[in-house]
Amino acid sequence: MDGTLVGLVAFAALIGLLAIRVPIAFALAGVAAVGTFVMFAFRTGAFNPDRAWRPTSSLVFSNSFDLIHSYDLSMIPLFVALGHIAYKAEITTKIYHAARVWLASVPGGVAMASVFGCGGFSAITGSSIACASTMGRICSPEMLRMGYDKRLATASVAAGGTLGSLIPPSVLFIIYGIFTETSISSLFLAGIIPGLISLLGFILVIWLWVKRDPAAAPAYPGTITGRERLEAALQAWPAVLLFVIIVGGIYGGIFTATEAAAVCVSAALLIGFAQRMLSVRDVIDALRETVVQTTSIFVIAAGAKIFVAFVALTGVAGDIVGAVQAAELNVVLLMLAIAAIYLILGMFLDPIGIMVLTLPLLVPLVEGYGLDLIWFGVVVIKLLEIGLITPPVGLNVFVIGSVVGKDVPIDRIFSGILRFLSIDILVLVLLMAFPILSLLIPNSM
Amino acid sequence: MLSRIERLLVDLSICAVLGLGFVITLNVVLRALFNSGLPDSTVIVAELMVAAVVLPLAATTAQRAHIAVEFVANRLPRRVSDGLIVFGSVFGLFALSPLIWAGAREAIGAIEKGSFFFGELMLPKWPGRVIFLVGMAVCWLRLLSMVVTDIATLRRGEPLSQPTGGH
Amino acid sequence: ETTLILGEAGPNRGARANALSWFTEQATDLSGGDLQFDIQWGGALFKAGAALNGIADGVADLGTVISVYFPQEMVAYGIADLPLQNDDAWVGMKATDELMRTNASIQANLADMNLVYIGTFTTSAVHIGCKGGAIRSVADIEGKKVRGVGAYGDTFKDLGANMVPMSVYDAYQGLDSGLLDCSQGYSYATAALKQHEVIDSYTLLNWGQVGALGILMNKDMFDSLSEANQTALLTAGEGMADELGRLITADNDRAIETMKAAGVEIITLPDADRETLVKGGQPYVDTWVERANAVGLDGAAMLDDYAALLAKYAKERDEQGYPWTR
Ligand code: NA
Ligand code: NA
Repeated sequence: MDGTLVGLVAFAALIGLLAIRVPIAFALAGVAAVGTFVMFAFRTGAFNPDRAWRPTSSLVFSNSFDLIHSYDLSMIPLFVALGHIAYKAEITTKIYHAARVWLASVPGGVAMASVFGCGGFSAITGSSIACASTMGRICSPEMLRMGYDKRLATASVAAGGTLGSLIPPSVLFIIYGIFTETSISSLFLAGIIPGLISLLGFILVIWLWVKRDPAAAPAYPGTITGRERLEAALQAWPAVLLFVIIVGGIYGGIFTATEAAAVCVSAALLIGFAQRMLSVRDVIDALRETVVQTTSIFVIAAGAKIFVAFVALTGVAGDIVGAVQAAELNVVLLMLAIAAIYLILGMFLDPIGIMVLTLPLLVPLVEGYGLDLIWFGVVVIKLLEIGLITPPVGLNVFVIGSVVGKDVPIDRIFSGILRFLSIDILVLVLLMAFPILSLLIPNSM
Repeated sequence: MLSRIERLLVDLSICAVLGLGFVITLNVVLRALFNSGLPDSTVIVAELMVAAVVLPLAATTAQRAHIAVEFVANRLPRRVSDGLIVFGSVFGLFALSPLIWAGAREAIGAIEKGSFFFGELMLPKWPGRVIFLVGMAVCWLRLLSMVVTDIATLRRGEPLSQPTGGH
Repeated sequence: ETTLILGEAGPNRGARANALSWFTEQATDLSGGDLQFDIQWGGALFKAGAALNGIADGVADLGTVISVYFPQEMVAYGIADLPLQNDDAWVGMKATDELMRTNASIQANLADMNLVYIGTFTTSAVHIGCKGGAIRSVADIEGKKVRGVGAYGDTFKDLGANMVPMSVYDAYQGLDSGLLDCSQGYSYATAALKQHEVIDSYTLLNWGQVGALGILMNKDMFDSLSEANQTALLTAGEGMADELGRLITADNDRAIETMKAAGVEIITLPDADRETLVKGGQPYVDTWVERANAVGLDGAAMLDDYAALLAKYAKERDEQGYPWTR
């Protein structure tokens, strides 16, 4: 049976199931299981189901189990828990109050501060999902409480979370570096300017949004005295302390980013109990929300992982790259074709999965055109980051969605995302047209 | 009965998150202050991750907190949209089946072969796999009971409670 | 024509990837084009921790198995990971390959798991790069914060090192921030991961290697092939030791030059200190013997056989040079 045909039918089935509200995790895992079964049953040409059961079950199990059975990803439940505990201990409320008071004269200032916070957090973790999980729990509920437009309060953080992999450190750059034998430190350096341009782009979107619709970000009621500002700033000390612990610990060589998550949870608990802002009941409630939220994120990631393995089996990625290669496009058309491949795969699959599927095939092709692999890496990571916020499967959007619960429907977040996506595409075009934006820092080191 | 098991599993998952946070923090403290560390902490944390992530699956399902794309379904008549919820659960039963079968094979295999992780403590591989199987199996039972009660509700002509995870 | 699916957890670059590609090309040639390969890189089908079941269950027909993930199931193969004194990549691979290929109880043990041994890789000798204070003697190990590799890390811990759990890819940042003082690794990987940018010294331990990784195949699939195709696979597999030996030796030499050019001091551990390391690793060898005995293998006898094979190929190298220099 032709693998590419099976692959395309599976993508169509996936879209159909998603459209009729089958939970995303089930749709991904179910379609992948059937597709895998079909691929193995037709291995020898004729339909032979007996030989398909074992490999199919092995594939679905190992890809889901190995994703979850991970030391590194323990960062995600821990950072989610940090967000919930900091919220219960009113650590987030105080820092948001301070931001609001200090940025009272800036329309949409709190949303901008959130995006800056995402940028800062990106410099700590290497993962966009971890970034969105933490900042989502910290930022979105506070903005909603201040009466921010629901789309703005959620989409800004979902988009801000995508900075996680562009601004170093970055797991995606590390994997790209391994697959291309390029310098990981050069890749990290190359991501800085594109990350900052993306950040400024998001700030611009918020500014335009609030300018056109001032009600989206209600101004601070009343006037603010200097004393109020000072008090607000002083009360925000627990958040500042947590930030100092994270940054100082990681850059001071005391712990890794994964360890930082655990240390911060411990520190937040200590601060909360010491300030008598936390009860044991609060902690249990916070963790109850944490585990349900973590589970709903991980099952989708696990479903996507199974789907990636199935797509690998079909060879559809290789066929598409082969077609691009055979077309002997000029450089501009080649890059547009590659961008299209990544954007389409990014609609459904996770960034690491897409890299594993495409890089072994694409990199030799790109090298053949004499293109710079560091620059190409930045473009690829930007494309993968965009995939995290595109429908129908946008992991960052789901992360924010699981934080705000039924207050803001997923499709409302996606509709807010559209404005950030337009600037993302613009940034992408800039990065593709001007390699110097990526190469300036690594080449000058 | 099922909801009591679910609550227990969520409580165990909470313990797992606390446990892995504690293991990692303790490791940092031991290293920073006493120039030592816990043996095999990465394996312990990875095993606890399975408990943290998989055990709440049934509770997540019961809360209808699975994320779905709903904007098409929301434009359909209520009866149709309720029917789609039931279909989603039925599809879940189907999608989880291979995972449960494979999980059982893996758990039994790990016990029979005596598989363990490389490390000082030579920790066995079966606990994480058994936890995975339990989480998946209870979720499957929850889906089954939801399908049965949802169909009964629909037959009485009543609307279903709406999901919280999507829209 | 048969297309075999090959699962590899690593990327399609580097010495191991080149050796793997060489293996598939050889097998295709030797089978007269009858065997074709669909290589799935980067763990697209299964990660390293699921390779054994992935191959036994037929997710891939053959693939790379790294024994350290399966200390129980791959106990026999694990002999090549032991901290014995054996730092030559080619010698280690030849000895391991011959043991795996000729020992009947290993073959039977694999067959029980629906597996067939095809050929072996190695990661080459374990050395250590440090930032700040260098390791010039065993005494320097005490108190150092180290990222370790298998039993080599365990021995360092016994000698007073403070082990930090961390993936090899994070070691760069760990060394840079001071979270790590030293990271154990292989020369080509140390250079590929650009660790020479953050270390001040690189100590050649010339101790042992992690060599228990190679290609295993699904037995059902292997048995279903013609005898000629089976021979093609086995012959290509046997050739991998020479090919990877050539590639990895060159890569490692180049890596040392890269480090030197970056101002990294290259230190060779004195022989007496190395003996302390080998002696320090002995408990882990003893544990292995017990585990091998427990699954019905004769651990001590295998260890003797392996030592004899190491001596045999070391002698061949000393007398004739490496195959690629002959
Ligand atoms: Na980052
Ligand atoms: Na997407």
